[in-house]
Amino acid sequence: MLGLPQEFSSDFLARLEQLRIKTRREYAGLGKGGHLSPRRGSSLEFNDYRHYSLGDDFRFIDWGLYGRTDKLYIKLFAEEEDLLTYIFIDASASMALPAADRKFEMAVATALALAYVALSSGDRVMIRVLAGEGAKPSPGLVLGRHRIVDLARYLSSAKPAGELDLAHALASELVTIRRAGKVFLISDYLMMTNSVTRGLGLFTAANMDVTAVQILGAGELDGSGLDGDVELVDAESGETVRVSIGERERERHHQTMLRLSREIRTFCFRNGLHYVLYVTGADFHEFFLRAVSELGLVH
Amino acid sequence: MGFAYPGALALFALTPLLVIAYLTRERPRRVRISSVMAYRVMGATRSRRFGGWPQLDWLFFVELLILCLAVLAAAQPYVIHRDRNFAVVLDNSAAMQARTPDGKTRFAGAIAALRDILGRQNFPANLTVYLTAPQPHQLSAPFTSFSAARRALSSVEVTDAPADPGALKDLIAGLLANPRLNGIYYAGAYAVASPLPPRLIARSFDVPIANAALSNFTLRRESFGSPTLHGHVAVANFSPLAQTLTVSISAGKTELAHAQTHLGPDEIGSVDFPSLRTAEVYQARLEPADGFDLDNTAWATAGAVRAISVLFVSPAPADAHGLDALPGVKVITRKPDAYTPEDLAGADVAIFEYGVPKELPSVNTLLVMPPPGEPVFDFVITPAAHLSITGWNATDPLTDAVNFRLLNPRVGEFFGVHAWMKPVATGPSGALVMRGVRGGHRFVATGFNPFPYLGRENLPMSILTLNLLSYLAGLGSDSSGFRTGQTWQVPAGIERIVTPSGNSISVTPGTIFSATTAQGIYQLIGAGGEKNLRAVNLDDLGVSDLGHAPTLRFESADAATQPANISVDRAPLTADLLAAILALAMLEAIVVYRRRRTIAPAIP
Repeated sequence: MLGLPQEFSSDFLARLEQLRIKTRREYAGLGKGGHLSPRRGSSLEFNDYRHYSLGDDFRFIDWGLYGRTDKLYIKLFAEEEDLLTYIFIDASASMALPAADRKFEMAVATALALAYVALSSGDRVMIRVLAGEGAKPSPGLVLGRHRIVDLARYLSSAKPAGELDLAHALASELVTIRRAGKVFLISDYLMMTNSVTRGLGLFTAANMDVTAVQILGAGELDGSGLDGDVELVDAESGETVRVSIGERERERHHQTMLRLSREIRTFCFRNGLHYVLYVTGADFHEFFLRAVSELGLVH
Repeated sequence: MGFAYPGALALFALTPLLVIAYLTRERPRRVRISSVMAYRVMGATRSRRFGGWPQLDWLFFVELLILCLAVLAAAQPYVIHRDRNFAVVLDNSAAMQARTPDGKTRFAGAIAALRDILGRQNFPANLTVYLTAPQPHQLSAPFTSFSAARRALSSVEVTDAPADPGALKDLIAGLLANPRLNGIYYAGAYAVASPLPPRLIARSFDVPIANAALSNFTLRRESFGSPTLHGHVAVANFSPLAQTLTVSISAGKTELAHAQTHLGPDEIGSVDFPSLRTAEVYQARLEPADGFDLDNTAWATAGAVRAISVLFVSPAPADAHGLDALPGVKVITRKPDAYTPEDLAGADVAIFEYGVPKELPSVNTLLVMPPPGEPVFDFVITPAAHLSITGWNATDPLTDAVNFRLLNPRVGEFFGVHAWMKPVATGPSGALVMRGVRGGHRFVATGFNPFPYLGRENLPMSILTLNLLSYLAGLGSDSSGFRTGQTWQVPAGIERIVTPSGNSISVTPGTIFSATTAQGIYQLIGAGGEKNLRAVNLDDLGVSDLGHAPTLRFESADAATQPANISVDRAPLTADLLAAILALAMLEAIVVYRRRRTIAPAIP
C-alpha cells in the first residue's frame, strides 16, 4: 500500500495515528506543533511571569496577582512547536543476514512506523540510511503524513551492504543536523561495543533525545542453521572464525548474543536513552504497540 | 639401519587415514553471517584443538611427522655401526732403549714402524693402544681413527722398567682370542715365533746387540763403626767377544775408585771396592760404552754416613743404657703407649722389647721376646724356664765370632716355625734367634733379652748384640734392593717422593707407590723434611742380555679364533624418536595455545 511494507495495514496505520512522540526535553521546532518548546508563545501552558511594560497585551495581566501585590505582572505561556525527528537506519551488510530473519525489512518497517507516528502528529521527520548501497537522495526533513510515501520510496531504494563504523557515521550525520530533536537509531548493533557507545554518546552530548532500537534475527540469536565444523565469515569485516558448532556451542552463542544486547541496553539506561529490542519473527504489530513507552512514544 | 619389529611399519597405513581425515574435515562449510563476534569466544574447532584433526597449515605436517615417528618408534629402529677394531701393542720397556747399529733406539724404530702401519690405513676404526712396561696396560680410551692413534704414539715415552714377557704373551694371546678384533699390531723387543697368528702383525726389534751390564750394586760396612764401605758390583759381558771392562765408583762428581775386569763372551763377574769412603749416593759406571746405556750405570745409597739412630721401644727404657755407650749410636727411647709409626721416620733401626708394633715397621727392626699370636708377625712362642742354645748357623753374619756355648741366656722363649723368618740359633724347643726380610727391611727376633748383659760381664752376648745391630744398621745391606717397575709400600711418615727426574709426588703412607719406572735415586721426604734416599736400578741381566731375548709363542688355539670381518653394534634409536615426538607435540601445543590466545574476544 503506497509502497509501504506489508505490515502497514490500514488498521495498523490507524493505531499509529493515535500515538505521538514523547521527549524528555523541550526542543525548538521549525513551526507550530504539538510539542512544548523552550520558546515562549501563546499556548495554554503557563510558563512564567514578568513585569508589565508599556505595549504589552493587557489581556495577559494577572489581575489576581495585581490585587495581592498591587503590581502589574504579565503571564508568559510556553510555545508549542513541532518536533524534529531524526531516524537513522543501519544498512550495513550485517542487516541483511541471516536473510531469513528479514532484519533490514523489519528495520525499515520500524523506521516508517516511527516516521508515520511523527508525521501524523505534525512533526518533521528525516530518515537517513547509514552505509548500504543504492539509496536515493534523502528527502530531508519532511512534514505531513502524505510524505510517508517519499520516505518509503527512499528506504526501499537502499540495500544493505558494506561495513559500518557507527561512531564515524553518526558524527558525519550530526554535522548536517541543524536543530536538536528526537533521534531513533535502528541497528542490530553487532559491532564493537565501544563504537556503539561512542556513536550514541555523540547524540546525547548534542542534547538529543535518543532511542536505540536493536533488531536481531531470531535465527541469528539462536545460531540455528549452523552445525558441525563451519568457517564463519563476518559479513562486514570479512574476518573468519572456524568453529565446531553443536548444541552446546549454540547455547553459548545465544548467551553471548544476549550478553552483548544487555551491554547496549545497560549503556542506554545509564545514559538516559530509550532502548528496545525487537527479535524478528515476533509479531511486528504487537512489538510496536507494546513497546510504545520503550520507544519513547505515548498514546 | 634396521628394525627390531619391522612388522610395526605396517602402521604407516595410518598415514593415509590422517590425510583423508584432513581432506574431509579440513573443508568446513563457509557461512557468511552478520557478525562473528559471538563466535570468537568459542575457541577453536576440533581441527584446531590439540590432538584433533590435522590442519591445513604446517601443523598438519607436524602431526603427520609425529605419526610417522611414532610408527618408526614402534618398529624400534637401530643404527648398525660397522666398526673395525684394532689393537696396538707397543713395547716401552727398558730393552727398547738399546740402540741399533743405525744409531736409533729400538723404541724409535718401533714408533716409526707402527706409525707407518697405521698411516697406511684410512678407514674408520677403533684402536686400543697397549704399553708393556712395567706391566701391560692400556694407554688411554680407545681411539676412533688411525690418525688419532698415530698422534698418541708420539707422546709415549720409553721406561727404564723391564717388561714381563709372560704378561706380554698373555696380553697378546687375549687379544688374539677376541673375535671383535680385526688386527693386532705389535712392535717390541721380543720376537714372535713363526708362524704368526693370522691377525697379528708383529715388528720385532730383537737383533742381538753387544752389551755389557752392571748389576747387583751393593754396599756393606765391613765392621761396626768403620768409616768406609765395601762396594760390590756384578758385571756381565753379553757380547760375542771377550773384553776388558772398567767399573768406576763416584760420589757426585768425585770418582772414589775404579777397577777393571776381563770377561769372556756371556761371562758374568764381579768387582769389589773394599774401602769406599762414606757418601750419600754412589754411582757405578761401566766402560766402554755400548748400545744400551741404561745398564752401564747403577746407583746405591749408604745410610751409614751419619750416626745410627736407634728407636728403642720398651716398657723398661733403662735396658737401652748399654747402647748409648756404643760410638756413633744415638738411642731414642719410647714407652709402648707413646710409640707412633711416625717415630720411625728418623730412625735407622727400631728395637721393640717385649712387644711388637701394630703394623710392619718401615726400618730394620729387632724384636726382643715378642708376644705370641700378634697378627703382623704371628710368632709361635714356647716359654722356657731355662734356655740353652744347641745349634746355630755358623756362616750367618749374626753368629760371626759368637761363642754360643758361653752365651748362657737365663730366661726366654722358643720360637716355633715362622712364615718368613728363618732360624739362626736354635734350642731344644725351637728357635731362639730368627731373621728375615719383609717389605725390603730386615727383621731379627730373639727369644731372650740380650741388653741386660751388654758389656764385659757377658762378652759373647755383647758380640751377638753388636752383630744384631750391625746387621740391622745396614752393614752388608743390599743397597740396590729396589728395581725399576717394582712397586713399594710408602713407609710411615713419608709425605712426598721425588723421582730421579725431579717430579715431586704426594703420597700417603701405607699406599702402593708405582711411579718407579725410572732408574736413579728417589727421595722419600717426611713431614718434617727428613729425607731418605732409595736407589732404584734396572738390575735385570735378563733384559741386559740383548742377544737372547725370549721368544713369544702362541698356541694354535689362540689364533684359531676367527674374527668377524666387521664388528656390528646396534645403537637403538627409539629413545631419540620418542624425544622428537615429545618435542613436536609440545611445539604443536604451544602453537595451538598461542592461536587461541590471539582470537580471544575483545569485548570489554
